[in-house]
Amino acid sequence: MEYIENDIKKGIKLHILKTDKFKTNLIAVFLTTALQRETVTKNALISAVLRRGTNTMKTQEEISKKLEELYGASFDCGVDKTGDNQVLKFYIESVNDQFLPQQEENMLKSSINNLFEIVFNPLMENKGFKKEYVEQEKQNMKQRIEGKIDNKARYALDRCIEEWYKDKAFGLYKFGYTEDLEKIDEENLYEQYKTLIDTCKIDIWISGDVQQEIKKSVEENQYIENLGEREPKYQTQNEKNNCKIGEIIEKMDVTQGKLVMGLSVNSENEEEKYVALVYNHILGGSANSKIFQNVREKANLAYAASSSYFRYKDNIFISCGIEISNYEKAVELIKMQIEDMKKANFTKEELENAKKSIIAMIHTIDDEQDTGITYYFGQELSNNKNSLEDYVKKIENVKKEDIVKLANQVQINIIYFLKNES
Amino acid sequence: MQIIENANVKEKLFFEKLENGMPVLIIPKRGMKKKYMIWGTYYGSNDNIFIVPGESKETRVPEGVAHFLEHKMFEQENGTNSLDVLTALGVEANAYTTNDHTAYLFEGTTNFFEAMDELMNYVQNPYFTDENVEKEKGIIGQEIMMYDDYPDWKVYLNAMKAMYHNHSVKIDIVGTIDSISKIDKEVLYKCYHTFYNPENMVMVICGDFEPESLLEEVKKRLKSVEPIGEIKRIYPDEPTNIVKEKIEEQMEVSQPMYTIGIKDKPIDHMESNQIVQKELAMQILLELLVGKSSYLYKELYNKGSIYGGIGYSYEVSKSYAHILFSGQSNNPEEVYEMLKKQIEYFKKEGISPKDFERIKRKIYGEYIEEYNDVGNIARMFLTDYFKGVNSFAYLEQIKNIHVENLIQLLEDVFNEDKMVISIVRN
Repeated sequence: MEYIENDIKKGIKLHILKTDKFKTNLIAVFLTTALQRETVTKNALISAVLRRGTNTMKTQEEISKKLEELYGASFDCGVDKTGDNQVLKFYIESVNDQFLPQQEENMLKSSINNLFEIVFNPLMENKGFKKEYVEQEKQNMKQRIEGKIDNKARYALDRCIEEWYKDKAFGLYKFGYTEDLEKIDEENLYEQYKTLIDTCKIDIWISGDVQQEIKKSVEENQYIENLGEREPKYQTQNEKNNCKIGEIIEKMDVTQGKLVMGLSVNSENEEEKYVALVYNHILGGSANSKIFQNVREKANLAYAASSSYFRYKDNIFISCGIEISNYEKAVELIKMQIEDMKKANFTKEELENAKKSIIAMIHTIDDEQDTGITYYFGQELSNNKNSLEDYVKKIENVKKEDIVKLANQVQINIIYFLKNES
Repeated sequence: MQIIENANVKEKLFFEKLENGMPVLIIPKRGMKKKYMIWGTYYGSNDNIFIVPGESKETRVPEGVAHFLEHKMFEQENGTNSLDVLTALGVEANAYTTNDHTAYLFEGTTNFFEAMDELMNYVQNPYFTDENVEKEKGIIGQEIMMYDDYPDWKVYLNAMKAMYHNHSVKIDIVGTIDSISKIDKEVLYKCYHTFYNPENMVMVICGDFEPESLLEEVKKRLKSVEPIGEIKRIYPDEPTNIVKEKIEEQMEVSQPMYTIGIKDKPIDHMESNQIVQKELAMQILLELLVGKSSYLYKELYNKGSIYGGIGYSYEVSKSYAHILFSGQSNNPEEVYEMLKKQIEYFKKEGISPKDFERIKRKIYGEYIEEYNDVGNIARMFLTDYFKGVNSFAYLEQIKNIHVENLIQLLEDVFNEDKMVISIVRN
């Protein structure tokens, strides 16, 4: 695969991931802006309203029919929290022309045009979005925000982050808050849309069997031509938060208790984040990890037990589903694993295995279109351009002493437990 | 090896049935770094009553044995756990159990043959002791409790209970705390020796390989096991009618969840192409009924009765078959009633050829997209093989589907007295 970065205008980039491994082309537009309490709900809602209709395809039905005609080109959109940024993501995936049963119009160009149409040419009514769509999507968004509680494990993690990062950007829920929705109408939402489009960082992604000439069709697209240059308003530095929260226990109707522990890694620089990745893998990143082995395999306390490293925030979150009465036992056991890491109680083999697994994962980045885009977007956001080869080398270079040093910087900031009412 | 090519998606399948009766399917993918191997046995949570070849009496085992066995296969006599060994090799290993099959797999970019050693070794060498069986009951108990907290799983299972009187598809794949308590090592060995015979198994490998030499590598690692002959599987008699139309359960959810089911007849007697055609016609029909461009979707969405769409699936096997619609709605009863009305409308007014052609294109594109990922490809060929189908058939048969096939399905399958609804709400 070949990665080519093109500047379209100041603040707007086109990234081409040229590869012939896939049957489809994947096109994406990412709008990145700083997470803020004032705009988080509106931005999330914008993404929902945009997919409802454009000035040429006025209804969702028309959009769907158009995409179905294109051999089921699939449109998808979502809202992500990436460190202290909120990212609105829009995708279209369509079959590469050579796999169609008959000669057709150029699928790639149609897909690009349709995607730009949805993001940059929303259906207008008077001075705002179409009122009906905004009202309906407010209702849907309310349901979606309230739906937080449906996946209990995910909910416990969200609550843990919310408590730890109270009043901070990272503590915000990516879809926003129900109490904001009442104040939103089609006009003030459209105002926010204009501000967003004029000031956010815009990244356009094309992954597939494409030629460099595609850059021209992107540049010449009328909606891209109309976009202005900008000094994009997004966070390149993520805010640290080292306050100690202690223990938080909440109750809900659950059969199994959900335990989440939040850790600060305190890496001293970007390079040390590669050490943190390996550290996390040994601690709880796989079936061989200390947490999985000790909490699940030896003590039989859990079915799911793992940890993950949030690179942008330099935090680790450990999650376990456990019998409620085993809460103290599980916390104790996990703390012992964290202590063990500090005392260098892990083998050379564990270290090598962790590195091998991470490297194997790096090798698969090229084999999945969306993973490829996510990887290069991560590089783009941290402004730290590493090729996949460099990434592999950095992991290979991690030594036992690096991990022990890092282990002694790690601290537990919060322990969150969701249990039943009784 | 036999070579089967598909001109649309431009891929080849290399096929060989080994002397011990086991089929091996290899799908080469040039340029992919990921390699994927999956080894499945045609044995799932539904196979709880059977006659072991050579015996005259039927064997009955507790619910959840197939899944329990899947967990226990990883444990080795030398004290190691194969999941750990595979993870240490830098590959991602896993296993899963469905209603009709169990599969062991790994995916990775390095150490393929070392991982293949381990996978083929552990699947061919079970090691169960009283102690390690007891220990597993704790872990699986936690797994059962984890599923207990998933409202989407609850609502699905209740729909099964509303449709099926006796068939074990209505019981959780993992079993119950009570049923797994009855499992011991003798039961596990008996099920292993019956169902893990090469004749009853299929292997699929996908990645950048030379098929012929890869096949030799597979053969080298196979233990010689005598075929045992046909296993007679006994499924309880399942009436064609439903148990009851509605089941409701209370759980803490933000929005009611629903699963609507339509009970269909199993496919025991059908040819491979007939199965494929029925599934394709069903897929097109279901998309026309509740898909993103459907009338029903638009109506319900604009009313605010659904968000996130209506999911649908059609499951068909030799002993059961049904259609499912699922989603979240503040008024599931309304979704149910409107769906019934829309079915009646289709029956009366027919289906627009223009809509039909458009959806056909969409479904074609979705099948092409399946071929992007080595894991998708391998799992698809395995699952389809157990149904008696070569996956390429979907791409080939879609041109043979006509509006008339859909009309026929509407008449045969979509009957109100076969419909059920399960709801989970606060």
